[in-house]
Amino acid sequence: MVALARKTLVYEWRKFLPAALAVAFSGLLLLMMTALMLGIFSSAGVYVSRSSGDIWAGYPGTQTVELGRPIPRDTEMWLRMDPAVVQVEPFQWIDGNWRGPVERGSVSVSISGIEPGPNGMMFSQALSAVDRARLFEPGAVIVDAADLDKLGLEVGGVAFLNGHGVKIVAAAEGLRMLGGVNIVTSIATARLLIDDASERDKVAYYVARLAPGVDPDVVRERLAPIAANHRFAVWTQEEFARTAAAYWMFETGAGLGFIFLSGVVFLVGVVITSQTLFAAVTSSVREYAMLNALGAGIGALRRVILEQAFWVGILGVLLGGLVSGLLALLAQGQDVPIAFDYSAAAICGAFVMLIALISGFFTVGAINHLEPANLLR
Amino acid sequence: MPALVAANITKSYTNGRVETHVLQGMSLALSERELALVLGPSGSGKSTLLAILSGLLKPDSGQVSALGEDLWKKSRANLEKFRLRHTGFVFQGFNLFPALTALEQVMLPLDYLGLPRRTVREMALASLEEVGLAARAHLRPIELSGGEKQRIAIARALAKKPQFLFADEPTSALDSVNGKNVIDTLHRVARVHGATVVCVSHDTRLATDADRIIQVADGRILSDIKQSGALAPHVSPCAEAKNHE
Repeated sequence: MVALARKTLVYEWRKFLPAALAVAFSGLLLLMMTALMLGIFSSAGVYVSRSSGDIWAGYPGTQTVELGRPIPRDTEMWLRMDPAVVQVEPFQWIDGNWRGPVERGSVSVSISGIEPGPNGMMFSQALSAVDRARLFEPGAVIVDAADLDKLGLEVGGVAFLNGHGVKIVAAAEGLRMLGGVNIVTSIATARLLIDDASERDKVAYYVARLAPGVDPDVVRERLAPIAANHRFAVWTQEEFARTAAAYWMFETGAGLGFIFLSGVVFLVGVVITSQTLFAAVTSSVREYAMLNALGAGIGALRRVILEQAFWVGILGVLLGGLVSGLLALLAQGQDVPIAFDYSAAAICGAFVMLIALISGFFTVGAINHLEPANLLR
Repeated sequence: MPALVAANITKSYTNGRVETHVLQGMSLALSERELALVLGPSGSGKSTLLAILSGLLKPDSGQVSALGEDLWKKSRANLEKFRLRHTGFVFQGFNLFPALTALEQVMLPLDYLGLPRRTVREMALASLEEVGLAARAHLRPIELSGGEKQRIAIARALAKKPQFLFADEPTSALDSVNGKNVIDTLHRVARVHGATVVCVSHDTRLATDADRIIQVADGRILSDIKQSGALAPHVSPCAEAKNHE
């Protein structure tokens, strides 16, 4: 077979470029929206996923780290009594009020109190050993580098947190949380920052590390009945991170908004792509009519158009993927919370191909009423 | 036995409230090895006649039978199949795909016959050879002159060795040398390949080469003259009967 579809596409690329660009931009939008959504929602679980604890214990029914409440102190003992648990550390989570430079007013923040030792599990992937050690100093805090501007301070700056003087001793990456500023400090400093003296001995979470090779699910199953009797709950790390992401996606309406917006992008993509493809195909309609006169069936001609739509889709996916990649690099340099996931990218790619193919089916309409007799005018 | 017979075909178009009767009961019988020239002013219905004879346009009434088959009793798919096997077209506009080389233009319709690739290529090359353009086989339309493009279009129509060749104003866009060339080719198709060639034109230069000249006006056949070497014009009984109506 003479490769009519491909040869026309290559030779008349200028005619098909708008369609490929329409596909590429739809793909770009879908991919970027997905990356942004994944970035935002995965930052909801960042405290969980960036720490090395295998098991989390917290207040029953807690949906996401930010909603933590104090749990009984004996939780630590119950965890330590499990044979698979090799390390347990407290993780404090309290609300705070930050007052830095006068012109900034006060900022609502969250305070994470962690074990600052070199073997500490909380933020083990975000904080270096040196930075952790700096937290031993009373009143020392670490913030995400991207939040420095919001606080109006540099590393070394001082401020009041819940009325106590604190000093920013370091800035790190990966401490950012959804919708607020996270202040990381030692568990000892955090204890000082709690106003209610009766609550000072309680923390929001205990994090446990298991012996190598132990399945966290098995341990969780084992601890669940004990937890139920002692007013705490246990989750595996993966489970708790997923719950947090799901909470933000489904309970806040953000996920529904994303799906709705994706639908709009899809629709706009189909409309624009089919219009541009239609224009490219109708410019050859006389030639198609000629082929039909010579006996090429309408079905065969439709296949030519669908093949063109397919190649336009492939081209659009490649182009959109390339531009998305470049934008992702740019975004990462600007601390925009985006996250790429191969399976999500593949799903986006599939949707973009679907845009191209649906447009192809619409474009086929250009030759549905082909009248080769009109060539005789 | 005639290869192509049209019996009492009518066709009218409605444009708003105005109904135009383009063909008013035309009958015609064409033989193989015959180059028939349909002459007539614009609006006389000659292009509509060609469209109906060639299976491109359905008449309002009447019958067209080609190779003994009633064309307009066929489904669209079967009609396409019939055209694929038996019919070639040369239109006024060349309708060549800009992206394809001359050889590919000619190969393209042959592909739909489901022949092996090598056969398709050989047939296409032979057809280009016949119109004298084998040396230009690798060129795209943009690199060819108007006359060459029309010859490619003819080669495309001829490649599958059709029993019928329909040509609509094939010389109107060409100068006299190229026009003569095209007419010679059409003539050869009728003589050498034994095809029935129907050519619609208002170019009277073609009259000297045609076997038969059919004059059309107002949707009727005015005269139908065979000039197979005979000096005296011969009016076919069919047209005569028509004219007496």
